[in-house]
Order: sequence, then structure tokens, then C-alpha cells
Amino acid sequence: MRARLWFVAAAWGGALFSGAVRPIAAQQTTAGAALADSGIVGERSAPVSNDPVLEEKTRQVASELRCPVCQGNSIQDSPSELAQEMKGVVRDQLASGKSPDEVKAYFVAKYGEWILLEPKASGFNLVAYLLPVVMVAAGGLVIWRAVTKWTNAAKSGDESSPE
Amino acid sequence: MTRLLGHSALLVALFVAAVGMVLAPIAVRRTRDDLVRAMYTATYAVFALVTVATFAMIYALITHDFSVGYVAQVGSRATPLFYTIISLWGALEGSILFWAWVLTLLSALVVFWNREREGALIPYTTMTMLAVSVFFLILLVGPADPFTLVSPTPADGPGPNPLLQNHILMGVHPPLLYLGYVGMTVPFAFAVGAMAAGEVASDDWIRLSRRWTLGAWAFLTAAIIAGMWWSYEVLGWGGYWAWDPVENASFMPWLTATAFLHSVMVQERRGMLKLWNLNLIVATFALTILGTFLTRSGVLSSVHAFGEGPIGMYFLVAIALTLLVSFALVAGNSEALASEGRLDGVAARETIFLLNNLMLTAFTFTVLVGTLFPIVAEALRGVKVSVGEPFFNKMTLPLCASLLFLMGVGPALPWRRASKEVVRRQLLPPVVGAVVGAIAAIGAGARHPYAVLSFAFAAFALVANIREYVTGITARMRLRNEDALTALGRLVGANRRRYGGYVAHFGVIAVALAIAASATFRAEYEATVKKGASMPAGAFEVKLLDVYAREEPQRSRIAASVAILKDGKEIGRLDPAMNFYPTSQQPIPTPDVRSRPWGDIYLNLMAFKQDGSDATLKVIVEPLVPWIWVGGGILCLGAIISMFPTRRRSTAWLGATAADVRVAPSPVAGGGAIMASESLEGAD
Repeated sequence: MRARLWFVAAAWGGALFSGAVRPIAAQQTTAGAALADSGIVGERSAPVSNDPVLEEKTRQVASELRCPVCQGNSIQDSPSELAQEMKGVVRDQLASGKSPDEVKAYFVAKYGEWILLEPKASGFNLVAYLLPVVMVAAGGLVIWRAVTKWTNAAKSGDESSPE
Repeated sequence: MTRLLGHSALLVALFVAAVGMVLAPIAVRRTRDDLVRAMYTATYAVFALVTVATFAMIYALITHDFSVGYVAQVGSRATPLFYTIISLWGALEGSILFWAWVLTLLSALVVFWNREREGALIPYTTMTMLAVSVFFLILLVGPADPFTLVSPTPADGPGPNPLLQNHILMGVHPPLLYLGYVGMTVPFAFAVGAMAAGEVASDDWIRLSRRWTLGAWAFLTAAIIAGMWWSYEVLGWGGYWAWDPVENASFMPWLTATAFLHSVMVQERRGMLKLWNLNLIVATFALTILGTFLTRSGVLSSVHAFGEGPIGMYFLVAIALTLLVSFALVAGNSEALASEGRLDGVAARETIFLLNNLMLTAFTFTVLVGTLFPIVAEALRGVKVSVGEPFFNKMTLPLCASLLFLMGVGPALPWRRASKEVVRRQLLPPVVGAVVGAIAAIGAGARHPYAVLSFAFAAFALVANIREYVTGITARMRLRNEDALTALGRLVGANRRRYGGYVAHFGVIAVALAIAASATFRAEYEATVKKGASMPAGAFEVKLLDVYAREEPQRSRIAASVAILKDGKEIGRLDPAMNFYPTSQQPIPTPDVRSRPWGDIYLNLMAFKQDGSDATLKVIVEPLVPWIWVGGGILCLGAIISMFPTRRRSTAWLGATAADVRVAPSPVAGGGAIMASESLEGAD
């Protein structure tokens, strides 16, 4: 962690060199007993299958579903426990032969449209998709008209500078 | 005591700022220099008073004075000193206080550096700055008062949001962001000042505010990159940009400011686009206020929307007032702003600047639509929808690609017009670069059309911008017998804005390449590993050595000690961890990263067994990521180079203006008329 500062220090000019801010480490113990004593309850486990095709499909679907407890991350990206569990559900459903769309439909039924990170391009949602396109087209038209007007003004006005 | 001092300082500051603001029109109308000077003194006084309030708050934080409302909200005796101090911007009230401090500091600087200038421009500019200060001071004595009394005094507080005390970058990103955000107030104030003073036709105010815009832009750039870095280092997902409303809020003004920095060149050289540039300045300022409203009012929930106070309405009123006043002033100055454009040919740099502005504006608009759409959809349909990464990626990738492409075409084309032959000659090398870039990307395994396009266009822009330097340097070497380094120094020195701009382009290209590479070639591996065993991760092997616990004053930490192996040899150790804070239900993941110029190995602890016998690790191998941070540095360097005035030398040709395009081959450029006109680009 500290070892990588050499690489960016040149770019950021030492602004980050205040090593004094890291809290001083308390005594460090090894696993086992210490974990039990640390007052942390509940272990966390995340199932991972060994089937690369299934994992790839799971990743695809999981990156389109929103994690309910963080800020707009997908359950693929979110390290939260709930996201891990949801990803497990996605994996199991895909393994049982459901198609990605069916899996997504299951989550929409459970959480509402909100769970999809990309709004379905239908109905009112089309507004979000079309507005930017309309804007680029309109802007392009304005520019094209301005440029033709200006070039005409230059042609009809005083002689343009000879190159 | 501290509480009273801070509170009264803010009240007096509000009064002084309001009086100073009212003085401006009276002083200008009656040409009373003494009143103008009184207004300038008021500006200094407001800065001094807000400084007192800010230091009172910092003192209260350090001494854990829990009778002060804000300290009771974010303070905690267990928090390390550094994080105690930076919790000044850890929640709403404190960040508004810090905002006001930066704003009054900049106001004082604007006055100090321009106090000798004649005319009505600076008084009206100062008036605008004071008006914005009044708004924030009203917030600070009303709905966002950080100095409320807490009674009875609690013994301890909850401490800052765990996410905000998990990384040193939290001490860097917010101040940079505020300097950039608040800095955009200055060009806005100059624009309003110029319109109010009726001096909008002269380009004086543009010259005065340009350096401020560049400075604010540099800070905003640094802030956005630092925010990406923080996200990468802290949130544990291996990404750096989630299109979160908070990120979008800082990105939108950056886009419009970038558009302004480009289109203002057209105004200065050709006298075109005056009205458009004013609108861009107003939009940039309005977007900073809108961004603050979105992230602070709780209208969109995200980690930054700390409290849900009554503050939203105040911001809405401020935005409405800003737009109303601006448009009224623009309408009143419409005659002075009318500019008749002339263009000798379609293939000219002006056209590229217009297209660049179209793309940047469309980009801003797309981000705005995507950010606001959930609110609109909920209001109209009553259905909550999410607009997240997949949407933004789909909508903005074409715009990113076009911008990269334009970044290569713009520098290659001359002003006013270019013959077909010139276009061909100028664009041939970049096109060759694009083909090489595309072949390299496909060779490396990129298959997605956008991925290949990004690499091709990045290479295109890279060659075009390098070529600008090469032609300039070789011309000087040939004609003046300078060695390459001297030639480079003098080339940049003689025209800092242009060559600083190209440096900024290199920064954008570095960021674009890094994002394209890390998005295209990113590989994730996840597995549950027993202690002592290892998991494969592409070319590497990841071995779990140990899982251990550590107690720290403000948190407990569970970490895995992991060795990275390549070809059976250990090349590094990483300790990804999970931090458990007493105030938060969720553990905060703390990834660990091994960074090398060609890429990162990013390690996250996802889960662990209670007895420490195994752990689930997520390994992400991401090429070129560090170049995002380096590219950010290069971007800022470009802005700094452009900010400094060009050295004036008494040689006649440097004093030449844009109108002298017909100059015969000049001493600098032997490349005929095109090169001559290029090398004479407007000095400051």
C-alpha cells in the first residue's frame, strides 16, 4: 500500500505525504482465538462455484441488478453481505436452468423496477433514452446552419484572405 | 464560549456582506470612490469573520466540545486527530461552513488583485461574490447552523461516517472539490459584473476571469480524480466511477467549464460565440449549486446526503434566482453580445470547437437527464426506477469516442479554413496512429467495437497532439539552431495556453486509455481459500497465509495476509481487510492494491470463517489503472502551464495578432502560411 506511493508521488507532488494519519496499530494477534475474542459476531461466507461458464453468466446478470443497501453499485460490485446473498440466488437460479431474463424478472417481481440498474427502454423510460439523442441532433442542426451562414457571410462580404 | 464566538462571527459576517452588497450600485451610480473602497473593506472583513467561525469550529472539534451541535453530530473521542479535523467537511453543516470560508477567501482575493482597476466591473463583480456569500451565510445562521447548543452536553459522540474516516484521501478530495466548485463562482461573478456594468462587449472581463476559470477547473479536475481514487481504494469493488449522483454532480460543471475553456478561444480570436460563452459560465455556476442541492438535500439518497434538512428549498430558490438574474442580464445586453461570425471554409478549427462544445454540452445534458430521471419518474409515475452504470455507459460511450476523435482533429486544423490538401497532410499521421492503435487493441484481445474504437481514437489524438510539438520544435531547431530541449522550452514559453492545452490533452488520453484498458481487460477471480492454500488469478497465484484480528481504538479489523506469487516466486504481500465500526451495521471493506505502471492487482476480503481457517477472496487484475491518477496529474499540469502569462518579448512577430494570418513564413515556422499562422497564435 505504502509502496505504491512512489509511482504516483511524481504526479501528485507530495500532497499525500502525511503518513502521520494512519492510526497506530494496536497489538496484533493471530487468527483463531483472537477472532472469537474480538467481539465480532457472525462469520461471513460467500459461495463460489467452480464452473467458469456459470460464473461468467452470474457476473453478467449480477452487474445489472442494483444492490439495495449501497449507493447505486451493482450486486456484482458490492462487497456487502446482502449483495453476496443475492448473487448466490442469481447463481442458483441460473444453475437450475433459468434464463438471465427470467432471473431478472424474478428480482423485479420481488423488489420492483428499481432493482434494475438500467431502466427498461419502454414506455415513459424512453424519455431518458431519447432526450439526449434529440439534443445532439438539434445541436448539430444549429451548428450546421451557423457554419453555412458564416461561410456565406464570408463569401459575400469582403474578400477572404488569400492563402 | 467557542460556540458563541463562532455563531456571532457568522451573524456579523452576514450583516457586513449584505451591507457591502448594497453599496455597489450606489457607489457606481454616484461615482463614490469612498463607497467602493468601503465595499472592498467589507469583503475583507467578511473573510476575516468567516475565518474566525471556521477556526472556532475546528477548535471545538479538537477539544471535543460536545455542547456544539455539529461536534455532537460528527465528533468522537476515539477518532484519530486527523480525522477529527477533517470531519469539518464530514457532514452538511460543516461542509457549508467550509464552503463559505473558501468563497469568502476567493472574494477577498478577487478584490485584492483587482482593487486598483477603474470602472464599474470590479465593484459589480464584488457585489455578485458578496451576494453568493450572503446566501451561504443565511444557510449558516438558519437551517444549516453548525453552532447550535446541545443541552445537556453529551459525554461522547458517534464519530464521523465510517466511510469518511477510512482513508487519507478524505482529507484531500473535499478541499480540492470545494476549491474547484466554489472557484467557478468567480468567473460567474465576473460575467454578471460585466453585464451589470455594461462592459460585456469588451473582452476585459474574459481576460480577467480566464485564469480563475482555469484554476478552478484544475482543482475540480484534481478533485474528481481524487474522488475516483478514493472510491477505488475504499469501496472495495475495484471500480472508480459508478455514475453515482455525487460523482455526476461534480462532473457536470467540469464538462461545461471544459466546453467554456475551448469556446472562449473562438471568442478571443474571432469575436464569435459571446452569448454562448456567457451561457456556459452561468450554466457552470448553476450546476455547482444544483449539484450541491442534489447531494445535500436528500432528494437523491447516497452516502453524501447525510441529513435531510429543510435546506433543499433554499437551494432551489438560489438556483431559480441565479437563472432569472442571469437571463435578465443577458437579455439586457443582447445587442452588445450579438456577434457576426465569419468563416472562410467548413473545415476549420472553429468548426471543431463548435462540435467539441456540442459533444460536451450533450454529455452534460445526458448526465443531467440520467441523474434527474429517477426523481421525475417517481414524481410522475409513482414508480421508483434506477438509472445506473449500464445506462450511462451506453449513452455516453459514443460521446467519449467523438470527443477523443475531435481532440485529434482540432489541433491539426488551422483557423478560418483549410484546403483539402492541408487536411490530408495534417491528418495522415494521426490516421496511421489510429490504425496501429486498433490493430494493437485487437491483438491484445479486445473484441468489443467500442473498446477497439477507444484505443484507435486515443492513438489518433495522441499522434495529432505529439505532432504539434514535433513540428514546432523541429521548426525552431532548424531556423534558430536551438537544441531540442531549448526549443521545447521556448515553444511552450512563447505560447503557454496552446501548448498547455495539448499537455491537458495528453492527460485526457492517459485517462481514456487507462479506463478503456481496465474496462476491457479487467479479470475477476473469486474463491474461498483454506489457510495455506492458494487460488489461481490469471498469470498470478494468490496464497492465503493467515486471517488475523486487530483491535484499534475506534474500530476492529479483520484482515487476511495474502502472498501474490508469479511462476512460484512471491512478488508481494497484501492485507485486504474488513473494518467493523461500532456505529455501523455493515463492515467497511478495505481492499489492498499492488500497483505497477502496467496495472494493478486488487484484492478484497469478501468473507471469512470465524476460526480463521479460510477466507473468500476477490482478486481483480486491472491493467493500466494507475494511469488514471497520473493522467489527472498531467491534466492539472496542463492547466497550470496555460495559466501563466506568456513571456512578452520585444520581437515584432510575437506581437502579431490573429489577423496577420497572411504573414510570410515567420522566423519560427518554416512550414508555409499554415504553420506561420499557427505559431502566431494569440499571446495573452
